[in-house]
Formats: sequence, C-alpha cells, structure tokens
Amino acid sequence: MFRLSATIGLAAVLALPPLAWAQQAPAPAVPGWQQGRPDSMAASPLAPHAPRMTVTAPDRLPTNALRVPDGFKVEVWASGAPGARMMAEGPNGTVFVGSRTIGRVYAISEEGGQRRVRTIAQQLNQPNGVSVRDGSLYVVAINRVLRFDGIEGKLDSPGEPVDLTAAFNLPTEEHHGWKFTAFSPDGRLTMNVGVPCNVCEFDRDRFAMIVSFRPDGSDRRVEARGVRNSVGFDWHPTTRELWATNNGRDWAGNDIPNDTLHRVRRSGEDHGFPFCVGSWNDPAAPRRECGEFVQPAAVLGPHVAALGARFYTGSMFPEQYRDQLFIARRGSWNREQLSGYDVVMAKVGADGNVTGIEPFLTGFRDDANNRFLGRPVDVLVRRDGSMLVSDEQNGAIYRISRQ
Amino acid sequence: MRTRLTTLAAALAAAVAFPTAAQDAAQGAALAEERNCGACHGARGIAAQSPMPSLAGQPAEFVTLQMILFRERLRDAPPMPDMAQGLEDGQIEDLAAHFAALPPGPAPDRGEADAARVRDGAALSQKLNCGVCHLPSYAGRAQIPRLAGQREEYLVHALTQYRDGTRRGSDTNMNAVMYGVTDAEIGALAHYMAQR
Repeated sequence: MFRLSATIGLAAVLALPPLAWAQQAPAPAVPGWQQGRPDSMAASPLAPHAPRMTVTAPDRLPTNALRVPDGFKVEVWASGAPGARMMAEGPNGTVFVGSRTIGRVYAISEEGGQRRVRTIAQQLNQPNGVSVRDGSLYVVAINRVLRFDGIEGKLDSPGEPVDLTAAFNLPTEEHHGWKFTAFSPDGRLTMNVGVPCNVCEFDRDRFAMIVSFRPDGSDRRVEARGVRNSVGFDWHPTTRELWATNNGRDWAGNDIPNDTLHRVRRSGEDHGFPFCVGSWNDPAAPRRECGEFVQPAAVLGPHVAALGARFYTGSMFPEQYRDQLFIARRGSWNREQLSGYDVVMAKVGADGNVTGIEPFLTGFRDDANNRFLGRPVDVLVRRDGSMLVSDEQNGAIYRISRQ
Repeated sequence: MRTRLTTLAAALAAAVAFPTAAQDAAQGAALAEERNCGACHGARGIAAQSPMPSLAGQPAEFVTLQMILFRERLRDAPPMPDMAQGLEDGQIEDLAAHFAALPPGPAPDRGEADAARVRDGAALSQKLNCGVCHLPSYAGRAQIPRLAGQREEYLVHALTQYRDGTRRGSDTNMNAVMYGVTDAEIGALAHYMAQR
C-alpha cells in the first residue's frame, strides 16, 4: 500500500518546485498550515475546517449514519461537551475529556443510567492532554501541567490544582503544541512535542518527539525522535512496546505523505521526520538515506489525521479483537476528496507486525457530497469492555458494545 | 500534474461540515435588540463609531466562534466578555444567524481612498495570501471573517493584536501570518480592506 502511494505521490512532487530549506525560517510569514505549500497550489481553496464549539442537540447527532461490524451496536453515550477530544477513565468510572479551542476539561459520570457532563476546568490554552494516575487527574495544556488530586471525590468543586508547569518546562510554541498524554506501564507521563510548523528547519532535540517524565516532571527521557506530531499512542498489552500514530505533513499532494503508525521498540530512536516517511524523501527537507531511520509499522492513509489509538484489552468484544489497535482518524482537510473520518483497526500479529488495517466505525464521511458529519478523535476501552469514541465536531461521545 | 492539481482544486467546492446548528435569525434579531448590540455595532450591524467592528454579513460560524471565545473568557475585548456571560449556545447561534443575514456595507463615515495605500495594501495582501482563506472578495467564509468594508481602525487594532500575540482565533494561524508585519504595512492592509 505504501509503495503504491509513494510512487504516485512522487510523480506529483517531482512536478512541483522543491522548496528551499533555507527559506523555512523558524518564525515564518505564512500560517503554519500553509508552510510547505508550493506556489502551484496557492490557488487551492483547501483550509482547515471550522471547529464547532456549541452544543449539538442529541437529535441532530449523526448516530443513525454510523456503522459498526455485525454483532456490534453504536449509540450516543454522552453529548453536550463541545470540542470533546482525548479521554481518560478514573478508578470510579468518571470519564475525563480534554479539548482544544474551547479551553475546557469535562468530567462525565454516570448517574441513574444517565450521563452527567460537568466542566471541571476552563480558560486553558488547548488542554488536550488528560491522564489519570493514583486518583489524580493530570491536565496538560500547551503551556501548563496541572494535577487535580482525588478528583473523583470533588467533581462539583475541584479546587485549585497543583501546578507542575515549571517542573515539566515544556516548550511554549503553540503550533502543534497541544499534547496527547498517557501513563506508560512503568508509570511515566508520556507526551508528544509536535513540530511548530508544517515542515521546516527546527531543533530536533526539542521538537517532533515523544518524551516521558516521572509524574513530578523530572527525569525527561526521549522515547522517539523524528515523529512530526503524535496525538495518540498506547503500549502493547503483552510486549509493552509503545505504538504511536503520527500526522504527516500538508501540501505535498492529495496522496502523499501518509499518516503513519510507529512501533517504538527502543527508546530514543529516530523515526525520520522531516526527512523521510517510510521510503519517501520529502523534497522540502535535505536529502537523507531513508534506511537510516526506523520504518513505520504501517501507513494509515494520506492526510487522514490519525489520532487516538488504544489496544483493545477488554473481554466484551470477541477474541479476534483482543490486543488489536483501534485508531481514530479525525479526517482530512488538506485533500480534495475527504479521507478518514472513521475508526480503523490495525491488526497486530503475534510477531508484532501489522497485517492489515480494517474499518471498524464508519459513516461520518459522506462521499457523495464530499462532506463530513463528525470528527472522531479518540477511542477509549472502558473497564466493562465497551469502547467510547469522542466526536470533536459534535461534542459527543459514542459507545460501541456487543449487541 | 501541476495543472491537474490546480484545476482540481479550483473546480472542487471546499468540503463542508454537515450543518447541525439550529439557527433562527428572527430570534437573534430580537435578542440583539434586547441586548442593545446596535448601540455599538450599529442598528443594522454596520458600526458608525470607532473602534467598533461591523458585524453585518459576517459568516455565522465566525460570529458564533467569537462569542464563545468571549463567553469562555478566552478572548479579552471589554466589554464583550462580560456581555456574553449567560448566553446559551443556541442564543449565540441565533445572534450569529441574525448578523450573517444583514447586508454588509462600508462604515457611513468611511473616508476617501488613498490610491497609493490601496496599492500597497493590495500587494501585501497578495504576498500574505489573505484571499486564500478570506476569499478573493474578502467576504470571509465559515470561521474566517469578512474583511471587505470593515472599519479601518478596527482592522488595524485586530491585525496588531494578532501580530503582537494578544489575540488568537480558533487556532494560531493569524499569529503566524502577521509575524513581523510592520505598523505601516498593517495600516496599508487595513486601508485596502476597508475600501473594498
């Protein structure tokens, strides 16, 4: 699959004037999303889709359009949480949800068979990262790290969090500065530090990385470098290897580069950005031998925005789903025909190789009209074995379970 | 290939989100009356006083987004954050539908065009690709505001805030595009847009 796309894509890129690396200044005069766009595409009407930050009423959700494999059902689990993105579950079953533009963190709890949505933090700068450890909720915004201790016991009045910002000392660059966070099996708070542009010259020891810390912000360790922007990862349930999705850059054509899935077998290895995506040399970067970088475990489609990714560890789904990786693809903007807008399953064999990518939740994309009905950002496997999927565009969370 | 890509891009309508908002312009008009929006923004959404922005003909998604940013106190432009408190999402969408439906037009006190500054502003707009997102007519679309005919000193104010990092949109793109643009250049851009 990758070889095919790369060949087609290479033809497109060769026809475009290569971008001078030296002109890619750290503080560019074009928006981040326009950098790396060749002049020949300057007339393109493509631009990031508008976020929606208002409540979508339950009867206006696209639930009836959604499709799952036979034997499964999908239903609305919660709504009224505009901008809902990354999810984490507390010990008592509260689901915490981060956001970007609207600056809120939600807590969703079950009360009498209904879900109650509370806003427990607000006015934050893109608080996308939410993780729970030992009863504490960690919220990571672009420029802040906050810890709410004993959060599930005080949802109505969370009080002042412990501010760990100084200890973590994260870069303050905004573009691709929002974080995905999760605790590793050995208890390290792990997060992405995206590249602050589309494609440019940047400090490879600070950006385009996955890094981990002790929960107090000390002992920073580089888990992976050369990863453009990973907004979703998980650890394999048995091998404990880190698997991370990654967003490919924009403006290289409709079909290149692919978003990628990375298997981190050893901490600190280089996965190739900005030089290579698999065997594809990005003409916007200096030429390097792609074989010197870790190759992606799988390609996930061009511009699909592969984000939240979790291994299925529950017992509700049939055996063939166990230890398989579910990936939310938020959906493209930098592609004339929409792609993504679904949840797929990467089939991971016993040897750790990916043997295929299969659709799991579809229906958000209306191909006939080239429009979308929702944008899935994260998947979460709950303790009861059901799966939640957050829909940022509609501020809703769907539940997938066995029929 | 280059030609094909460009042609495709021009031929295809931009992909759009399924509209799920329930908007009622008539209810929005009543709410605008009740909240006295016209005192600053003009009875028909065309502001007659400095430094207020005109809202007539602004894309509904843009107005909605800004009102949410005010209500959430993520954008600071007194007195708007205080005035937006207590507004329900549906009320904000109604207000947005109301202002989007009003016919846009220049400020009643707009001065004469200065040909040299219009020329400078047009050249700069070309260089910064303003028309790619705001459209060549600068009518705006979705979350991207209308610039054509906006009050000039308001445009200066907004562009300066983006340059200085004191304002953000739904993302950080305007901060990046305005990086390093001089006061004189902002003045020319604003003059050019206001005269459109």
